[in-house]
Amino acid sequence: MKAAFPFIGYDSLALKDFLTLLGAEVCLPPLTKKTLELGVKYSPEMVCLPFKITLGNFIEALENGVDTLFMAAGARKCRFGYYHYLQEKILKELGYHFRFYPVSQYSPYEFFFEKMPQIFNVSPLKVLRAFYFMVKKSKTCENFKNCLRVIRAIDYKESIRFEKKYLKKIEAAKKIKALNILNKELKTKRKKFLKEGEIKLKIGLVGEIYFLLEDFANQEIEKELGKLGVLVLSKRSLYRRLKHLLKIEIDFLKIYYYAKKYLPLSPGGEAMNTVGEAIEFAKNGVDGVIHIFPFTCMPENIVLHSLEKISEEYNLPILSLSFDEHTSKTGLLTRIEAFLELLKRRKRNGICLYRH
Amino acid sequence: MKRKIGIIRALLYYRYGELFVNFFKNLGVSYLLSPKTNKEIVDLGVKHSSSEVCLPLKVAVGHLLYLKNKVNYLFLPQVVYPYEKLYPCPKMLGLKTIALAFYPKKKLISFKIKGNIFFPLFLTGLKLKKDPFRVILAYLRIKRKKERKEISFDNKHLKVAIISHFYNLYDEAIGSVVLETFKKEGFVVYLKEDLEKEILRKKDGFSKKIKWAFERELYNAFKYYLERVDGFCFFYSFACGPDSLIGEMMEREAKEKGVPFLKIVFDEHTGREGIVTRIEAFCEMIKQKKNL
Repeated sequence: MKAAFPFIGYDSLALKDFLTLLGAEVCLPPLTKKTLELGVKYSPEMVCLPFKITLGNFIEALENGVDTLFMAAGARKCRFGYYHYLQEKILKELGYHFRFYPVSQYSPYEFFFEKMPQIFNVSPLKVLRAFYFMVKKSKTCENFKNCLRVIRAIDYKESIRFEKKYLKKIEAAKKIKALNILNKELKTKRKKFLKEGEIKLKIGLVGEIYFLLEDFANQEIEKELGKLGVLVLSKRSLYRRLKHLLKIEIDFLKIYYYAKKYLPLSPGGEAMNTVGEAIEFAKNGVDGVIHIFPFTCMPENIVLHSLEKISEEYNLPILSLSFDEHTSKTGLLTRIEAFLELLKRRKRNGICLYRH
Repeated sequence: MKRKIGIIRALLYYRYGELFVNFFKNLGVSYLLSPKTNKEIVDLGVKHSSSEVCLPLKVAVGHLLYLKNKVNYLFLPQVVYPYEKLYPCPKMLGLKTIALAFYPKKKLISFKIKGNIFFPLFLTGLKLKKDPFRVILAYLRIKRKKERKEISFDNKHLKVAIISHFYNLYDEAIGSVVLETFKKEGFVVYLKEDLEKEILRKKDGFSKKIKWAFERELYNAFKYYLERVDGFCFFYSFACGPDSLIGEMMEREAKEKGVPFLKIVFDEHTGREGIVTRIEAFCEMIKQKKNL
């Protein structure tokens, strides 16, 4: 079985290991401009960007001889849960032969004991074991990303070397022991850099999860911010998402409590997280918040109105950026630079930030 | 002091509006219904809302702002689920969030509709008049229209089904042009609202998987009309999330059956004439197809 799933940033490493442990061969074509072009060509015009990118991703994977596709599913308020119905239809119309498995996010029991054992013909115990390894690896990925952000902000050239070296290491780690060692290494490295270097600006990144995790979708906004010497903080990762889905994420309760005041009803997607995290960042004293989301995203557009209010009450500059397939990197950079200039001036003039 | 309560003539008004108005009349509360959508309201809404939301929501924001200094309370029920734990569109869930940006929390009367219209109205009534008996009486006295015109399909006339949300079609500033043009061309128009509840809430095939209540109704109506009409007109707003996916499914299914399917997207810049021309061309096409 040659399997593929939509590429989702560094966390794909963890998902890849999950499928390999269950006995599948995983093929992950990298995201390029061609992927986007393919996706845009075959998807409906009005749909949001993640649909287009993942569809392009699937087409390229199928061209490489993949016969099994996995896609996250779970129809609720957000459009994301409905992607796979249409994507399957479009791909079948294009004449590909494949098996398509939508994996519902909201029914863990079915996932562990019915779906996965059936697909791979293994015992549920093996699925659980593979899943445990995936969670561990996604934790390492999160640590790696946090460390990378700090190094980027302090020494950009060093960060390129660091990224290459540790990506290989993480990919090669096949035992939980190795992951634990890596975790320790990454943590000490992060602390060392934080002690030695000086950080000019801190920015919190909130928004839609696919855009926060996948660098291709967000035009490498984290890299660009790092180049400009900004420390990016983000609370979203596959690790936290998995914990949230298994209902063992305690941190989310706090975020939910913060968000409830500004968002009386959850409009679906990750709107609650976006609002709650923005408030938490404000309380921890970041210099500004950047909010990224796909063009015409429904939940995040409702969030805009809450963010406006938060910006007023906490005296926090918030920049909202929406992305579609026509977004150019230059335009994005100009807006970010202007925003950073504003933050720097605020800091120089000593405008007091909200402290709890 | 006289209590004046404001009702916006947008979104849910076109589904529950008469019921609300009737209830307040029976209760003896003076209410103010915002006027029919006009250019001033649309401009207000466009100015004060995010540029990426759909036109019906922008219109709703316009109505909210129109009532801002004219009423003491704003009646804005939140639909959590209309029935069967199905969700409305995320933007409708977020309507209160948007209203909070313009109104203080005290001025909003927004109880949650959870599959049942009685409790939100009862709580609203209690807040305005502190007499539960009177409130229940007012609720019981609401006149409910039970007229539903029987739909029939004959072969003499050309038939078209318009698939669109109630807040698009019945808002005169947005959708009435579509209805008028089809009628002018001599078509018999079928709407979602003409159908029975049982058909609209059916659960089979793909419609079972749709968790948006209004979208499921649209899809079921589409399925029902698929073998009975000569053409479809799918009328949806730019940046409408649910419609962009479900509409695409419908278009594909109609193509398989060989039924003409016209998709019209509108936003605040869409001209009336553009829509009329497209519909006329579509009608001409159906007529030619029938003659051959």
